[in-house]
Amino acid sequence: MDYELPTEFDIIIVGTGIVESIVSAAASRIGKTVLHIDSQDYYGGFWASFNLEQIDKLCERNQNANVDISADVQLNEGERLIQIGNNNFDLKNTSQKWSIPEKLELKDVSENVEGDNCDVTETEADNGTGTEEVWTQEKLMRESRKFNIDIAPKIQFARGDFVELLISSNIARYSEYRSVSRVLTWLNGELEVVPCSRSDVFSNPKVSVIEKRMLMKLLGACMDSEENEFKDYKIKTFHTYLNDKRLTDNVIHYVLYAIAMSTVDTPCSEGVENIKRFLNSLGRFGKTPFLYSMYGSGELSQAFCRLSAVFGGVYALNQNLGGFVFDAENKFKGLVCGKQQVIKASHLVMGIEKSPEEFVKSVEVSYISRGIFITNGSVKGSEKEHLTLLFYPLKGGRELCNVIELGTLTGTCPKGIYIVHMFTKQINTPKEDLEECVSKLFQSEKEDSDVKDARPQVLWSFYYSAPDTNTANLRKDVPENAFLCPGPDCDLDIDYSIKKAKEIFNSMYPDVEFLPRAPDPEEIIIGDGSDEQIPKK
Amino acid sequence: MNQYVNKKFSNQYKATIGADFLTKEVQVDDRTVTMQIWDTAGQERFQSLGVAFYRGADCCVLVFDVTAPNTFKSLDSWRDEFLIQASPREPENFPFVLLGNKVDLEPRAISTKKAQQWCQTKNNIPYFETSAKEALNVEQAFKSIARNALSQQAQAVDLYNEFPDQIKLTNTAKSNNSGDSCAC
Repeated sequence: MDYELPTEFDIIIVGTGIVESIVSAAASRIGKTVLHIDSQDYYGGFWASFNLEQIDKLCERNQNANVDISADVQLNEGERLIQIGNNNFDLKNTSQKWSIPEKLELKDVSENVEGDNCDVTETEADNGTGTEEVWTQEKLMRESRKFNIDIAPKIQFARGDFVELLISSNIARYSEYRSVSRVLTWLNGELEVVPCSRSDVFSNPKVSVIEKRMLMKLLGACMDSEENEFKDYKIKTFHTYLNDKRLTDNVIHYVLYAIAMSTVDTPCSEGVENIKRFLNSLGRFGKTPFLYSMYGSGELSQAFCRLSAVFGGVYALNQNLGGFVFDAENKFKGLVCGKQQVIKASHLVMGIEKSPEEFVKSVEVSYISRGIFITNGSVKGSEKEHLTLLFYPLKGGRELCNVIELGTLTGTCPKGIYIVHMFTKQINTPKEDLEECVSKLFQSEKEDSDVKDARPQVLWSFYYSAPDTNTANLRKDVPENAFLCPGPDCDLDIDYSIKKAKEIFNSMYPDVEFLPRAPDPEEIIIGDGSDEQIPKK
Repeated sequence: MNQYVNKKFSNQYKATIGADFLTKEVQVDDRTVTMQIWDTAGQERFQSLGVAFYRGADCCVLVFDVTAPNTFKSLDSWRDEFLIQASPREPENFPFVLLGNKVDLEPRAISTKKAQQWCQTKNNIPYFETSAKEALNVEQAFKSIARNALSQQAQAVDLYNEFPDQIKLTNTAKSNNSGDSCAC
């Protein structure tokens, strides 16, 4: 393992977020030499998934750990050394809270069999079919590694750009997925399952026969999008269109808030596009149009990095980075690794949080209010474990609150536990923004012994504001041969991030195919002494 | 890995660049086992193998170079790294296999005995001396790997089914509950 980093590459990529990783894969794939480097000791940056112990430390975590500014390098005339990293995009308003005791109290032990606290709870759980499992902080921490908690949870459309890219590039083999098994909506004070497919619509007892016809006709009209149908709604909202169709309130609710993922303010054309996207992704993998990556969204960037590595990309995490070298014309020359080694490259690509302050000083940031909850049951219990997506319409003309509930079958939490992610555009603090949704889905913290609350109990919660730079101009103030990659946005999927990665790739290598299909291993012939991998066609 | 699956050996010494994963069917006691052998793709060189690499492994093959003592010394840390990252249910019983490779080369730095001793201290890991270049012992080693991976499954029946209904993205994949096609 006594390797030393080579001293010259075509491209140096700093940071292992999704956009950086896609660019890395695309560049390695066409034969460019890539150094993909991160100051952190894990993949994903702001896109990573953490276990319970790691997330515990997240609040103290600095995305630019291991950036060492005391570099001692000889610079040529006109060259300057710029510090890597900035604090403009840190997570804000972080607040973590346990709602369960650290350990079981002693009186509980005396009533039970001998042994230490933990054995007692496990015995109870094994025997008791009716008794609820008792969770303690200690017990959850012991299962820490079974958690993969997304900092930026993402759901993919089955026919979205992400899935198509994974299949066409053959990167799909590096990751596995699970189908979202139900889409819920909040209707008349209750959680209801949204009928997604034709068979769902017809088997749903809460939708009358007349409503079924209405719904099918309406969805058909949106799919065909004949000009006449929508010509009067160019400047009107989708909600107005639905109202004019004289549908029942139930049908309007299902269509507007769930299938079109819209609000009363969404323009008609956007609502129609959303419906098309939803319906187009149906029937490909599972019962809903949505997919979630096994073991968490943090796996996504690693799949792209794997392809990059297979095509020769050099990977180095946990590196001490000493700075970027720029010349007199403000052109990127190289990266200082450690105190002394200068690694040269003709292009620099970096995650926005790894950028020198001067390149991002005018980047505008909006925020996403995010909440993560560990609970002891599903928001809508059922016999089998569900992977649930819910669009919760917040009061007051706000954007929808996206809710993703993950069970143990997603490989992100231990048995008996659910992880609920909530996020919406930030207006106030994360806690205030999500309060309405939290109060509807979970048991209230003030115990009311008279009424048995069937809703799940929140065992642990974590609120934070995450930066969103989707709309920011990331070319301004940035030297010509350097590129910034945006972090996670408020979208459900990562299609926009793929678009950004493609733009960066095309700026560096115009007219070259972006992630062409990688050969399957059995197509590669290894010759004697020959350097080339020749894919058989 | 290439020697085993394709019976070819690449003479170029470019670490493991280009290696991804290979699939091979082997007969183990009347059963046909399909093995997928995943290479580290060079990501181990700067300790940058992500946790995604370790997911779902049934057996871990550690390889060292019998002419390079430092590769032998680092076996402990690789074994630990695997157990931490993959976090198998029973770390003590997880199947490992050790290969001492390049036995065709001189001078030899790690003796057979020394390697076997290391294996004994780790709950008797099977040890094979191989030469990928001369196809020595490669077939036997991988048979043993397959057998060990299988025994792991036999002990924990639900190992394979820990996460049922996973989806591999392909163009042809259809859900089991098809018939649920487009709503229109």
